[in-house]
Amino acid sequence: MDVNQYLGIFLEEAREHLQTLNRCVLDLEHDPGNLQILDEIFRSAHTIKGMSATMGYAAIAELTHEMENVLDLLRKGTLKAHAGIIDTLFQCVDRLEQLVEEVVSGQSGGVEVAALSAKLAALAKGEAEPVALQVAEPVATNETVTAEIALNETEAQLVNSALAQGMQVFQLKIGIREGTLLKSVRAYMAMKALDELGDVIKTDPLVEELEKDNFGQEFSVVLVTESAADKVRDVILSIAEIETVIAIPCASTETQANLPKVAEQATATAAATAVEQTREAVKETKTDPAAAKAKGRALLRVDAEKLDSLLNLVGELVINKTRLQQIGLSNQLQELSEAIEQMDRVTTDLQGVVMKLRMVPVGQVFNRFPRMVRDLSHSLGKEINLIIQGEETELDRTVIDEIGDPLVHLLRNSIDHGIEKPADRTAAGKNPVGEIRLIARHEGNHVLLMVSDDGKGLRAEAIKQKALEKGLVTKAELDVMDPNDVMRLIFMSGFSTAETVTDVSGRGVGMDVVRTKIEALGGTLELDSTPGQGTRVRIRLPLTLAIIQALLIQVQAETYAIPLGSIDSTINIVPGDIRTIQQQEVILLRGQIIPLVRLGRRLGIAQAIDFDAEQELYVVIVQSGDNKIGLLVDSLVGQQEIVIKSLGTILTGIKQIAGATILGDGQVVLILDVNSLG
Amino acid sequence: MSEIENVNNELKLIIFKLGREEYGMDILRVQEIKRMMSITRVPSTPPFIKGVINLRGSVLPVIDLRTRLGLAETELRDAARIIVILANETTVGFIVDEVVEVTTIDTKNVEVAHALSTGLSTEYISGIAKADNRLFIMLSPDSIVNIQQA
Repeated sequence: MDVNQYLGIFLEEAREHLQTLNRCVLDLEHDPGNLQILDEIFRSAHTIKGMSATMGYAAIAELTHEMENVLDLLRKGTLKAHAGIIDTLFQCVDRLEQLVEEVVSGQSGGVEVAALSAKLAALAKGEAEPVALQVAEPVATNETVTAEIALNETEAQLVNSALAQGMQVFQLKIGIREGTLLKSVRAYMAMKALDELGDVIKTDPLVEELEKDNFGQEFSVVLVTESAADKVRDVILSIAEIETVIAIPCASTETQANLPKVAEQATATAAATAVEQTREAVKETKTDPAAAKAKGRALLRVDAEKLDSLLNLVGELVINKTRLQQIGLSNQLQELSEAIEQMDRVTTDLQGVVMKLRMVPVGQVFNRFPRMVRDLSHSLGKEINLIIQGEETELDRTVIDEIGDPLVHLLRNSIDHGIEKPADRTAAGKNPVGEIRLIARHEGNHVLLMVSDDGKGLRAEAIKQKALEKGLVTKAELDVMDPNDVMRLIFMSGFSTAETVTDVSGRGVGMDVVRTKIEALGGTLELDSTPGQGTRVRIRLPLTLAIIQALLIQVQAETYAIPLGSIDSTINIVPGDIRTIQQQEVILLRGQIIPLVRLGRRLGIAQAIDFDAEQELYVVIVQSGDNKIGLLVDSLVGQQEIVIKSLGTILTGIKQIAGATILGDGQVVLILDVNSLG
Repeated sequence: MSEIENVNNELKLIIFKLGREEYGMDILRVQEIKRMMSITRVPSTPPFIKGVINLRGSVLPVIDLRTRLGLAETELRDAARIIVILANETTVGFIVDEVVEVTTIDTKNVEVAHALSTGLSTEYISGIAKADNRLFIMLSPDSIVNIQQA
């Protein structure tokens, strides 16, 4: 069978299922016992397995097959979705993504699956037994604390793979000074410190017990780290009231999983199950989003290009209709005019439907963020809860394609600079878990996207300082700025408040890029921040980019369109109202000084230099960047809905012009880019 | 030069006039020929870009070939046409004084341009074709459209 013709469908569906996997594993992490989520993961993995086997991608099929085995055990409840399994599942999803991209690039063999498959196989075997044993030997106590910390097979597997990767594995015995009050606090601090050094695989007694002070003078930890033993020891000993640290390197632990240790694991699982059950009881009352989504409607996959050409055709139809209307009017053909009125209604509806076809839920962009936030916050040692609202809000496809990067920038900023480390948050009297909200909703003719965090906020003084250092503003300029203007400084290029440049953010281009992108989409950006309470960025975007309301104006014989969104107002003046400040012509509007731009001159058209004293002049006040400017035009033609067309590749990058449109009479009219006229 | 070496050693050219000289261009590049229509000037562009036109709903840049080739500008007459061609993967219009005919010539009769250049910017010329008693200056649309060179 020639499978190449199905390649496109395979890739598209595989990517979709990978996205589902990513989302569901994330959900599973928060709600490990949820069968519906497990079912969805299982279905997606199964579909990918089937598709890839058909297409002959053995590696993908193999990996998904092993995933299925583990997932099946999870579904049956013989295995619990602990952190190790979740991490492994994430690794699988990542590896599958790489494999799929390999299919795209046409190379093969670069991505290795054997190790992951083995890990999955081990997971599948590993805990099936201890849980079974739990019934037989339910009574085991914490008194089995021995010199050697016991590892079950899964943990042993983790240790082995860490050793194989050249990491260090230590068993640490940490002793706390006798008579110490609140031992749990010391234990907590030690655990925090260890978390920063590497991964704690196991503690003895369990973390919950440590937190309840249920332990003697010492406790043991198994740590996977890249640091040397001395470093680990020093870090732990630097914590007050910790007296002794003994670090024993762990060797490969092939045979460690013997019976008494299994018994101990059984208690752990039993305790975990109890917690699990109460948690499930709480969760069950909530509605299940996965199930709601699964209902679905009959959907059709359509090539985006086809939609674009449909939109073009409808645009042409609208233009031709307007032309017919004019013929009907100018020739006074009553019958024609009536027929056209009918047609007008149909074309308006048609236009509406086609525009709706191009609308895509913003969730398509949002769904990759939870994973990103999870990974980033883990790597920074922060705990962050990402709350997403309004994923169903729809935006034009062109906007959707462009909005991803700016949002990534904003989220990264919030994660890196906004949210503090858990310890700092606790010290500030906040919940140690930070919160980032990503909200989309309709607001009139716009869509509002909001990224807010409850982090440390922006300090106006720090921003001023930085802006001065970078030479972006002068002291005198700063003195007259209101707080909002100060906040806006961070959108200037070359600005970054991060003290150190990290790979997360702080390259000093971030916010500037965000602003440029949003403005290019015809949107606006607002930022407000309260020190200590958080930062909020609001982005307003037009619903669609293809058809906009515009004001047509005339300069000499030429007609131009100005997007209504950037117009503040239009006013009439007489030549006497024009004043000059240092050769620059200005007018006064509601007490505000507004620079006047003679549009004709700016666009290279001859325009009268002197006016009759009584002559009425038209000025269109527009928002250009952060400032208002007045455009002096000869006349206002009227407001109209226009279809935006590109000027074509050889005319891109022309300043002052944002695009073109075609009027009812077939005339091409250019759309002004007011941002570049200031 | 690849345009010149066609199958069967034959080349179909569209022949048009700029002033008294006759020019040729590979007919396969030509999409259509339009009468002069209203052209919207685009500010801040080189002088040879006359502006943009509406070609059945899409906006298309138009290049004045005379200006582009460094010839004197003249008043456009009735015979003037816009030749819509495909160059550098985009569609553009070329304004010419008059479209004469479509003709077939043998690739043997095409000479490299440099020997004959007469003050005309040679970078836009791919060769000179001879047929009977006539000479056609063969243009290379891709380099004409390439604005970066200007």
